[in-house]
Amino acid sequence: MHLLDAVPLINALILGLSIASIWLIAALGLTIIYGTVGVINMAHGEFIMVGAYTSYALQSSIGLPFLLCLPASFAVVALVGLVIERGLIRYLYNRPLDTLLATWGVSLVLMQGVRLIFGSDPKYIAVPQIFQDNLAFGPFGLSVFRLVVIAITAAVVAATAWLFYRTRFGMQVRAVMQNKEMAASFGIDADRVYMITFAIGAGLAGLAGSLFGVLAIVLPTMGTAYVVQAFLVVVVGGGSLVGSVAAAGLTGELQSVFALFSNDTFARFLLYVLIVVFLRFRPRGLFAVAKARR
Amino acid sequence: MTRNLYHDKRAQWLLYGAVFLALAAVPLFVSDGFLLNQFATYGVYGLLALSISLGWGFGGILNLGQGIAFGLAAYGMAMTMQMQSQDPDSNPIPPFMLNNSLDHLPAFWEPFWSTGGGILLALVIPTLFYVVFGSLMFRARVSGPFIAIMTLAMLSAWYTLILDMQPYTNGANGLSPPSPLTVFSTQIDPYSPTAYWIVCGLLILATAGTKLLTQSKFGLVVQALRGDPERVRFLGYNVAVYETVIYAISGFIAALAGCAWVMLVQYVSPAQLDTNFSITMVIWAGIGGRLSLIGSILGAFLIQGGQSYLGDQFLNTWLLLLGAFFIVVVRVMPKGLAGLLELALGALARPRRGDGTGARADGAALPAAGE
Amino acid sequence: MAAAAVAAPHLWLPTTREAWGATLKKGEPIKVGLLFSLTGQLAVPEEDSTLVMQYAIDEINKNGGIAGHQIQPVIIDAKSDFNVYSEKAKELILREKVIAIFGCYTSASRKAILPVVMSQNSLLYYPTCYEGAECTQNTICTGPLANQHSKDLIPYMVKNFGKKVFFVGSNYVWPKESNKNAKIWLQNAGGELVGEEYIPLGSSEFGPVLGKIRDTKPNFIFSTVVGASDIAFHKQFKQEGFKVDAMPIASLTTGEIETKAMGAEFGAGHFLSAPYFQSLDNPTNHKFVESFLKSKYGKNGSTHYNMEETYLSAYVFKAGLEAALNKTGNIEEVTSRMIRDVSGGVKVDDSISPEGLIWIDSDNFNTWLKPKIGQCQADGSFKIVAEAKEQVAPDPYSIYPNLGKCTATGLVAPDGKARKNVI
Repeated sequence: MHLLDAVPLINALILGLSIASIWLIAALGLTIIYGTVGVINMAHGEFIMVGAYTSYALQSSIGLPFLLCLPASFAVVALVGLVIERGLIRYLYNRPLDTLLATWGVSLVLMQGVRLIFGSDPKYIAVPQIFQDNLAFGPFGLSVFRLVVIAITAAVVAATAWLFYRTRFGMQVRAVMQNKEMAASFGIDADRVYMITFAIGAGLAGLAGSLFGVLAIVLPTMGTAYVVQAFLVVVVGGGSLVGSVAAAGLTGELQSVFALFSNDTFARFLLYVLIVVFLRFRPRGLFAVAKARR
Repeated sequence: MTRNLYHDKRAQWLLYGAVFLALAAVPLFVSDGFLLNQFATYGVYGLLALSISLGWGFGGILNLGQGIAFGLAAYGMAMTMQMQSQDPDSNPIPPFMLNNSLDHLPAFWEPFWSTGGGILLALVIPTLFYVVFGSLMFRARVSGPFIAIMTLAMLSAWYTLILDMQPYTNGANGLSPPSPLTVFSTQIDPYSPTAYWIVCGLLILATAGTKLLTQSKFGLVVQALRGDPERVRFLGYNVAVYETVIYAISGFIAALAGCAWVMLVQYVSPAQLDTNFSITMVIWAGIGGRLSLIGSILGAFLIQGGQSYLGDQFLNTWLLLLGAFFIVVVRVMPKGLAGLLELALGALARPRRGDGTGARADGAALPAAGE
Repeated sequence: MAAAAVAAPHLWLPTTREAWGATLKKGEPIKVGLLFSLTGQLAVPEEDSTLVMQYAIDEINKNGGIAGHQIQPVIIDAKSDFNVYSEKAKELILREKVIAIFGCYTSASRKAILPVVMSQNSLLYYPTCYEGAECTQNTICTGPLANQHSKDLIPYMVKNFGKKVFFVGSNYVWPKESNKNAKIWLQNAGGELVGEEYIPLGSSEFGPVLGKIRDTKPNFIFSTVVGASDIAFHKQFKQEGFKVDAMPIASLTTGEIETKAMGAEFGAGHFLSAPYFQSLDNPTNHKFVESFLKSKYGKNGSTHYNMEETYLSAYVFKAGLEAALNKTGNIEEVTSRMIRDVSGGVKVDDSISPEGLIWIDSDNFNTWLKPKIGQCQADGSFKIVAEAKEQVAPDPYSIYPNLGKCTATGLVAPDGKARKNVI
């Protein structure tokens, strides 16, 4: 590759940050569910989709402003997650492969259910005018909405970190993660910890969904577009919060830079192959969760 | 102590024999070409379910990327059939390549001039890929859910690659060889009993072979490592080798299915490497009973048959029902429909040790592995 | 197994083959298959295709059917799954014995069903735009080919906005083939191609592509992005601060349905080339729009180029079947292949066709039509800004003249050799 003008590269790096933030917020819920509960949630993409539809429905029926749709989506999808955890997942905690399959069944049901309710034609979520512009500093630029996504992602990551590392609940979570029986003997209700974590993870997916509905389109099948990336972020990161942040940053930047030098499709292929090779040498990911599961 | 008939080796072979016989006799009663073709396609799905049952049910390797072997073999077969309709002298290049500005046949297409060589490659290349990829994964002691995710990622990589290499693969449109497969200067009409019997024969051979494999010493070690790979490792077995071999055999069966499929439908596209299709294969085995080879195969028949015949009445609700049914299966009967049969036969036999011991493996393995 | 087969040669070589062919019977309805997806990712355009076909069939039946015979549609949901397309096409042809199939929206699904359509000598009406480079004896297409689609659009854009253009497409066959044609028009118009990018089907991340567009500063963008991606593209275009007045998108896909889905604010100002727009101002179209939207099939609230092309295919079929009847005089002798053979040259005139007179080419069986250019308005409707003076000839091999010419009997190479079923 001959020497390129630096501007496109820097722009690609800025954009990479945005792609990373999108993948990170898509993967955040998956991370805490996997990292804490050990469940690989195949319905994660559909949680995202349900979040997007929640925002759409609230906006089009009662005209809720977009910024209020975000917490509303979080709440609704967290509730959905709660119901699924209580009704299904909790019976499968010691069967990791089966949870993977059962949650795939859940994803089918959610996707088809939404299709029955809303139909399969695309919907869209409106955002305030100020989000639909571009910020430019000389030759460098990024859209306002992408900045909003970066900011929200950063805020949510910070809040999650605070919850898991600075609160009493977080301490309980970490205790349960390290040794469920020992934690239980100290009076921690592991069942409750799992339930709340699962609901929060689902809620985060819902929040991501209402952001994605703005970036692209609201469709019953929209979740599948994000879920593979989300999985890869979790697996490469090793299931810890810091791991996911690092993995999303790395893969997002690589995707953006590869796409600059080749094309989007080939960039994706390259990324998948790199990830498989990487996992060969670090099967536990960048920052594995230090725990003795079961 | 009366044994559960379900775990009786002779009874099992009797059942397998009966199913095989019934399958082989179908063309004697069905003359409708459409039905024969459709049943043969179910046979291909049966092969795929069998391959999943071998890898997942017996080897504990949850492979969400079985579409790799199926798809690669299907492409190999489609390339072979495509070249049958080309002429080395007057018309050596498939039409889609000309549209993509290729003025000579790419080197990796050359071997597919030969029908035998082409089919051989269609089987060998996916198997070889499974050996390499499998040994990479298993030597790194990747396990459980991580295998599922890695196979899924690899599947996505292949999917993307085939889509992007349009001049060589025709991208999303895939390959549609214009005429059916010709072997030994006989054209195999995909709607004929011949085509049905070829697929049926493959299914019977593969099932019987797999059944024997699971009953062999090798098969017992594989089942043991599904239960506890660490313990098997401490006993001095090279676990990675066993896992790789079982993974590759399962890939080979899926490759057979890929070849047969293209023979029947004259078409392949990246959709054969779609993640949903690969997960569907797992569902067949899951619902039918992943621990039972024949259960998995019948699971594929049942679900695909339901898809074809119930789907149009229910339209939207069908997928909803399938998802819900699958959840129920995973939740309350992890051994699928075959597990129900096991329970029923167990109840017929005199009261057993009153617990859920059946939970380990298909009966064939029990004498050595269980006791 | 082999022994059984040898012992029963009648099984080995089925003699029933002829009996499988579709037949029409006096006094019985004419069965046709509607093979579109009602669920899954393709349902968005294809559900409308099914609805408009049912509408057209009802309309024909109400006016006396075809030579007194009613048309009976067999409606199939292909579930957006190419395996299902293949299986259901077989079922329609071999089991239901339909005389023709109306179906598919994507080339991939068309390629999936062509082997069975060709081997059974059936007939497929493919009612939307595609890339061409195909020459079979069993298809009739009522949408624009790549050589017709962008012919006027590119010169129009160059003239009004400037020479520099950036091509963006979804990564599959149709956009790439379309762009090959577009490059020819661009060269003729004296334009300059500053970049060409393809993004994965279904992808919604246009950041990298828009970055390249920003760097290369084209005067306009030529888009062949399809489906959900197209909507993401238009939304991100605006969100990234691109201004539609300074750099509009000229698209071959973004019509009324897409604009409605993305919100008119994102579509306004951009251009589309298509043979049909809902806003076409002629009595036939006014009647079509009004009565379709009022009928039970008009629930989605708009008409669209894809729907109109599908609607036309029903009338092309009617004209073809009538021509075949004229030839034989006996409906029981009519076969699918006969309908196709006499369909060359059949016309649908402007008392029926909302887009105006069209006819079927008697060599390659694609459609002569007038592409029009529309600009999306703030309310999501399109204003027609240009229209071809006369019908443009379809040519599936326009960019591959040395491969030959598609004729009714096959692809005739320059050396005179003809090949059948080139797909």
